[in-house]
Amino acid sequence: MHYVWKEWKENLKGKGLWLSFAIIVLVSISLLVRSSSLSIDKGFYVLLINLFDAFVYFIPILCLFLGAFALFQEKEQKTLIMLLTRRDSFPSFLFKKSIAVQSVLLGPMILWFFLYVIPLKFFYQIEWSAYGFYLLSVICLVLVFTQIGIFVGSISRTRMQIVGFTIAIWFYFFFLHDFILLSFLPDVSYENVKLFSSLYFLNPLQAARMFLESSLGVYSFEHMSKLLQSFMWMKPGLFLLGNVILLVLLSFVCGAAFHRKEGSE
Amino acid sequence: MKKLAFLFFLTIGILISLPNQSLAAENLQKKIDSLEGGAVLRLENKTYEGNITINKPVEIIGQKGTVIKGDRTGNVISVRSPNVKIRNLTVMNSSLDRNSPEEYAAIKVYTNHNLIDGVTIKHSFHGIYLSQAHHNTIKNCHITGLGKGQIANQGNGLHIYYANDNVLKNNVVQATRDGMFFDYANGNSIINNKISDTRYGLHYMYSDLNSFEDNTFTFNTGGAAIMNSNDIDLKNNKFIFNYGYKSFGLLLLQAQNTAIEDNTFFLNQRGLYLDQATNSSIKGNKIMKNQIGIELWASSNEQVFSLNDIEENIIPVATLGGEGRNSWSDKGKGNYWGNSFPVLDLNQDGIGDEPVAYQSSLYELIEDQELTYLFLKSPATQIYEKLNQFFHQDKRMFEDPHPLVKKEEMNFGWFGWLVAGMILFVILIKGRQWICITFGRNGRKI
Repeated sequence: MHYVWKEWKENLKGKGLWLSFAIIVLVSISLLVRSSSLSIDKGFYVLLINLFDAFVYFIPILCLFLGAFALFQEKEQKTLIMLLTRRDSFPSFLFKKSIAVQSVLLGPMILWFFLYVIPLKFFYQIEWSAYGFYLLSVICLVLVFTQIGIFVGSISRTRMQIVGFTIAIWFYFFFLHDFILLSFLPDVSYENVKLFSSLYFLNPLQAARMFLESSLGVYSFEHMSKLLQSFMWMKPGLFLLGNVILLVLLSFVCGAAFHRKEGSE
Repeated sequence: MKKLAFLFFLTIGILISLPNQSLAAENLQKKIDSLEGGAVLRLENKTYEGNITINKPVEIIGQKGTVIKGDRTGNVISVRSPNVKIRNLTVMNSSLDRNSPEEYAAIKVYTNHNLIDGVTIKHSFHGIYLSQAHHNTIKNCHITGLGKGQIANQGNGLHIYYANDNVLKNNVVQATRDGMFFDYANGNSIINNKISDTRYGLHYMYSDLNSFEDNTFTFNTGGAAIMNSNDIDLKNNKFIFNYGYKSFGLLLLQAQNTAIEDNTFFLNQRGLYLDQATNSSIKGNKIMKNQIGIELWASSNEQVFSLNDIEENIIPVATLGGEGRNSWSDKGKGNYWGNSFPVLDLNQDGIGDEPVAYQSSLYELIEDQELTYLFLKSPATQIYEKLNQFFHQDKRMFEDPHPLVKKEEMNFGWFGWLVAGMILFVILIKGRQWICITFGRNGRKI
């Protein structure tokens, strides 16, 4: 709790959280305004899908930067050394710091999306389960990319390194991962489709999207071909859960194993 | 003795109070049979047991709570006389048996010139079945199926079989196998129906000269599938959010002379999907925000695309299996392709000065590997396209010789003005000093 409070106070003073938060608020309001002009049935689902598609562009990079700088700040201000010289080990510090950063980022965002329901109610008939699935998929994205960000902050020595690593990781998940899979696509057959699907769902953006679209019922997996049936060998929710657990744990373990204590401007 | 007498009367009481199904059915059937031709039967606000057969030209009017409940052995209402009118009631519990010699429905019509108005149907195999029945009107009906996952266990909302010149108007169909199924049915008018959560919202087989106007197809596996049918008119329909794996807004398969005008194809996996279709006229449609705007197989020829608004699709047009003989403009007017295709119009005549062409390399992947559809929303597809353009491994998907140019109007909307006003307000109140420091006199304070 001490860490959470400290993190919250630090973020209140900084601009990063407010900037990210402002982007999320502005994007969600502008999309609501745009979607409200569509006089179509089930506009609520259209809005949720559009919101998710828009946030895919912002949330990963923002969370990566916020997570990385939150940890790097401890090095920069020499508070990391002070904390570690008391009785904390680095993994223990990293764990507490991760919880603090995650809760500081998730708290206001979840609060905003609860407030967002109020204007939503004027335009649409809200389906709470659908909204819950949407919120869950966004939360998963925040969790994964913030934790990867914390890993980046943990292994970086300078701010330039953070910028470099963050952009590289964002580029990988946003473009490169799928691009590599697209290149292998002609060679996918019944024999290797499960491996291919595991790699496909290793991308949190794809796992979260598939989970959201199938949970909302807009993306149906009925009348699947044999190949697609083999591709979807688990439920989309399980793919997402696996992805979140794997990437969060991996980022944490790597962050603890390859950390650099010193940092400079 | 007293106990025995008590038990006797109790049993008699229970037996009397229990509704006698066959008796109730017989009662309603008897009532109908006793009517003169042209008479009106007003049903009470209660549940009647079916099944019933209407053999006379009568009018049956229910109330808000009037229910005719079948015994799950056949059709709940069989209409075997012409000029029957059924209004304002709920019909439920037809047989769901798939091994019977006939397919059952809540209301099965075998005759002509009938009217079914304001009927709610549930728990039935087919909703309303027109079997060799002509000139009937079905309107304001609400048909609910067993759910999207029950495709094989149920029938269609409206099943039109060898039935011509019928009018289907203002109906709502949800969660049935196909919303409306036409088999050898010609000259029907389908107006302002709403169909959702079905396999195909509209399924068409061997049916010609039908017209569709103002219908909405949402959340179906496929919006409308027109197969082996000719001379169909589709106007002002909305195909929205038919979004599943390999879904489509409208499929034309072996269809000829189809006129598709002023429809909206929005947020579908594929807006229009044309395979072995010939001589279609596709004009004035809005094809927006689909993953593939138009998927056109080489087996489809002589299509004319004109005056369509085709924008914000991930892939505007995918031409697969080779290039067919199709026109992307008519009488010197092409289509509007959105901001991703910048067009010059120096003479301001609303037609671009140069043709618009779209090159793509994804067509090969789409042809060969069905999993490609899973990547369409990924930003990686754009890189894939650019890289293949660089290596000249792409192919022309279409060339519009006369692309349309829209006059852009600055329209912020109230939200834009609100944001602009707030920014201005903040700058005026708080930010003057900061702006001056940043931009004034090379950053020195003033």
